Amino acid sequence: MKFRSAALAGAAVLLTIATAPGAIAADLTDVGYIDQADLANLPVFVSANRQLASYKSQLDGQYNAQLRKARTDAERQQVALQFQQRLNDRQREVVGPLFQRAQLAIAAVAATRNLSVVVDKRIVIYGGQDITKDVETIFASPQAIQPPAATPPPSEIGFVDQSILDGIPKVQTANSAMNQFETTQRQIYSAKIAAAKNDNDKKQILADFNKSVADKQDQLLKPLVDQTRAATSDIARKKNLMLVLDKADVVYGGTDITPDVQGVLNK
Amino acid sequence: MLLGVSAALLAGGCGPNVHSGSIRGTGYVRIDEVVKHHPLYPQLSQVDDAIAAINLQSAAHNVPLGARQIAAQTTELNRELRAAQIRANKILAAKERDYAERESRAVRAALSAAGIRGNGALAAQQMSAQSARQAQDAERSANADYMAYQQNVIAQDNAASTSIAKGLQAQAEAKYRAKAEQLQQNETDLSLRLTQQDSAARLAIKMRLSNLAMEPGARKQAEAQLAAINQKEAAAVAAQRNADAATLRAYHAQLDSQTSAAIRSQVGAIQAQTQAKLAEHRNEVTSQLRSLAPAPAPTNLPPAVARQIAQIHKQFVGQFQAEANKTIAEYNATKTDLDRQFAALHGADVGATGAAGKELDSLQKRRVDLYQQIVAQVQKDATRLAKDQGFSIVFINVRAATGGYDMTNQVIKDVESQHE
Repeated sequence: MKFRSAALAGAAVLLTIATAPGAIAADLTDVGYIDQADLANLPVFVSANRQLASYKSQLDGQYNAQLRKARTDAERQQVALQFQQRLNDRQREVVGPLFQRAQLAIAAVAATRNLSVVVDKRIVIYGGQDITKDVETIFASPQAIQPPAATPPPSEIGFVDQSILDGIPKVQTANSAMNQFETTQRQIYSAKIAAAKNDNDKKQILADFNKSVADKQDQLLKPLVDQTRAATSDIARKKNLMLVLDKADVVYGGTDITPDVQGVLNK
Repeated sequence: MLLGVSAALLAGGCGPNVHSGSIRGTGYVRIDEVVKHHPLYPQLSQVDDAIAAINLQSAAHNVPLGARQIAAQTTELNRELRAAQIRANKILAAKERDYAERESRAVRAALSAAGIRGNGALAAQQMSAQSARQAQDAERSANADYMAYQQNVIAQDNAASTSIAKGLQAQAEAKYRAKAEQLQQNETDLSLRLTQQDSAARLAIKMRLSNLAMEPGARKQAEAQLAAINQKEAAAVAAQRNADAATLRAYHAQLDSQTSAAIRSQVGAIQAQTQAKLAEHRNEVTSQLRSLAPAPAPTNLPPAVARQIAQIHKQFVGQFQAEANKTIAEYNATKTDLDRQFAALHGADVGATGAAGKELDSLQKRRVDLYQQIVAQVQKDATRLAKDQGFSIVFINVRAATGGYDMTNQVIKDVESQHE
């Protein structure tokens, strides 16, 4: 009998071990996704984009005319900036209100479904809540969309804005050095490949070119990539985030840890 | 027995406890890593290498062509452009005829079904035919007008571009010739200077050599001295010539680069102006076509039949437009490639052109198809695994993970096992 109890106890221990992290926890269910490509195909977006393309085509003519008059690089840069600004202004004017309405529709659906984050459909390959149709219905309704009363609940999904990290001086310097190196190497190897006698030579030259670029990437960029990755994981752990995504994939909500990562990289 | 059950549970427990506190039904897949293990990955790599090789080749420094070569190649490209326009026009005209006939048959059938014959039928058919003819005539005329305008503007563009290229190349050639002549003069001067410098020594040796009674040993020595002077002078002139050749090569490269940049800049401005003119004219043509109203319906038809005929017309016009757009898109693709070749001809840095451009386009399309095929299968496998194991959600493109379950290795094994 004693033996039997001991065996049962042992089995219980083993079962506990087998399911060790096993305190059953609630699954992550407050993640929604939206098919942004589908949203962009709504007639209002298509029409707005057409308007924008037509405006850009008009602007291109004026831009080229002014560019011809510019005498120095500084003047040319000034012209380019000025026209980019005009295009941006028009974009804000034409597409801005639509984006704003889409954001409100997404926020409204997210609030109704208690979602803490909404991401792009491309990055969810299984599960999650598809809110595309709900958002499109609200977006297409004639009524004004009221912003939700509360901000989205804190999310265990974090995100980082790479475009901001790219603006950090040391990252900028490294990227610029890498671009310069690649341009020079491209010129050198393009001359070699043009003079290559057969396909095998070409393959070898291409392999050499790729290796030279990869080696330089290892030297210039890898340390920064590693540092960014380590900082992101560290901050995610401290903030109890489960996963960290790229901002480009997050449509609504989520926890922005860009300033924290930026702070570490700036040290 | 219980131990056996426990052991089985442990063995079966190779998979994750999906609902544990650290995973909470969440998985992720490092898709780039899985793609590398897919059986089609070697093919994807080959396509990538081929694309990279073409891009690398097209980055080679463009040596400006001579004015005559540019003119010859421009003529050839213009011929190809005209051929493409004629081909597109022929296809459009054939489609127009086909749709007009089909529309006419459909109208006849509708009228016949409605029991309308004689004058009413004739009038309705005339209306449909007239409307179609008007639209087709307007479109044909607008297209012809646009293409004539396009030819004209492109011809002006090419003439201006060729003239600019010719002028800039002539300037560069003149500069190069002047530099070459200057260096040649320097070599001549050096040679003369050296000869004058050594003339006394050379004369003295020659005088000694003119003495017939000179000892053979002394003669040999004097001859060697003379040879050494000649050799020294030749070496100095050769060194100068080599240095000048290097200077000339560098100058040539510098002129090439400056000329290419100048041609690129000026031709680019002309081409941008041309594109703007063409776009403006195209917009005018399109708006004119849009403003064309259909021919008025005859008043003697019952409203339902008139509506049906209008519907038939709308349907055929829509179908024709869709097909015509395809033809126009094909023409535009050809034109874009030819435009790139025009630009490349004038030294613009436009990447791969002509046959290489077509190959690049085809490779890029193949790459997209192949990659999508691989990713679709990976996603299918990951979805099946996620479903089997009870995950609630699975992500890709994750930057960092402190929780959730990394399914990458499982998916890799699954992908590999299906192709063993």
